[in-house]
Amino acid sequence: MRYGYNGPMATLASENDLPQNLWQWFKGSWMDRVILLISLVAIVCSWQWIHSFVSSGPPMVMIYHDDQLLARYPIPEEGKPIHFHAEGEIGDSEILIDANGARFVSSPCSSGYCIAHGQRKEHGDIIACVPNRILIVIEGNSADALDAIVE
Amino acid sequence: MSNIISAPRPSLLELEEKAKWLTLLLLAVGLHIFEAALPSLGPWFKPGLANIMTLLALVLIGPRAALMLAIWRVIVGSFLIGTLFTPTFVISLAGGIASAAVMLLAWRTIPGITLIGISLIGALAHMSVQFITVESLFIHQHALYYLLPPLLLLSVITGWINGGLAAYIISRIEESD
Repeated sequence: MRYGYNGPMATLASENDLPQNLWQWFKGSWMDRVILLISLVAIVCSWQWIHSFVSSGPPMVMIYHDDQLLARYPIPEEGKPIHFHAEGEIGDSEILIDANGARFVSSPCSSGYCIAHGQRKEHGDIIACVPNRILIVIEGNSADALDAIVE
Repeated sequence: MSNIISAPRPSLLELEEKAKWLTLLLLAVGLHIFEAALPSLGPWFKPGLANIMTLLALVLIGPRAALMLAIWRVIVGSFLIGTLFTPTFVISLAGGIASAAVMLLAWRTIPGITLIGISLIGALAHMSVQFITVESLFIHQHALYYLLPPLLLLSVITGWINGGLAAYIISRIEESD
């Protein structure tokens, strides 16, 4: 079996020669590097593709429950926060939208990951509360084009 | 009683493999709990340290043991951290099974691949299947996939590192044998 290290070379290398040993363990084979390259190219291309749809137009905060759009707000001006209550699967999630972005203020879920995720305002940002099935997405105004293509 | 006495004793090799599997399972559960306690780098993102134990099981015991380890690690780990049968458990289980299955397939079929490549593919499968599970079972919204590319990028890094760590551990185990 190929484990990703060269056994004899590993024993020849000095115990104190840490950088060289580290290189031995983490360099991978040529096939690993091919897989790495393919993965990186695919990820970067898909990221660019998504970004080109999401980033067009001023940012809008979309609030979904499952596949249902509950609300859609532009990022408000300073001093004019919006409080929205989203009724989800297990209760009511309170969402605050202000000039700094959108965030969950309270949630009926036990994990609290959605609240810990903090505030988001950049295009393509997402905050999800999976137990309550509430999703906050920051999209550009014309991001509907993506849905049309995916569907 | 006579049945118990006459039952054939398991061979030493069988017992040794079971002991190895249980040891790896306990280590994997420990890492699963440790990862759950880490501050979140993002929704559904974990460094995947427990996956190192799946890789070790694959090399030291075999493919079936690795798959079973991935399943039982999620079940026991979720039971201990109190998320059994919650959405988190379903997402973890789907990711764990998909990751283990893809790693076994890569190990069997891709020539020249090492534990690093196997781990990388496993990490990508784990992350992708988590998103597919969330989208298909919990939040039916394509917009979820906006978050996938950056998290896949992090998975590439952690997958590579975990594979290197697994290779290092295997070599040390073999040196001590």
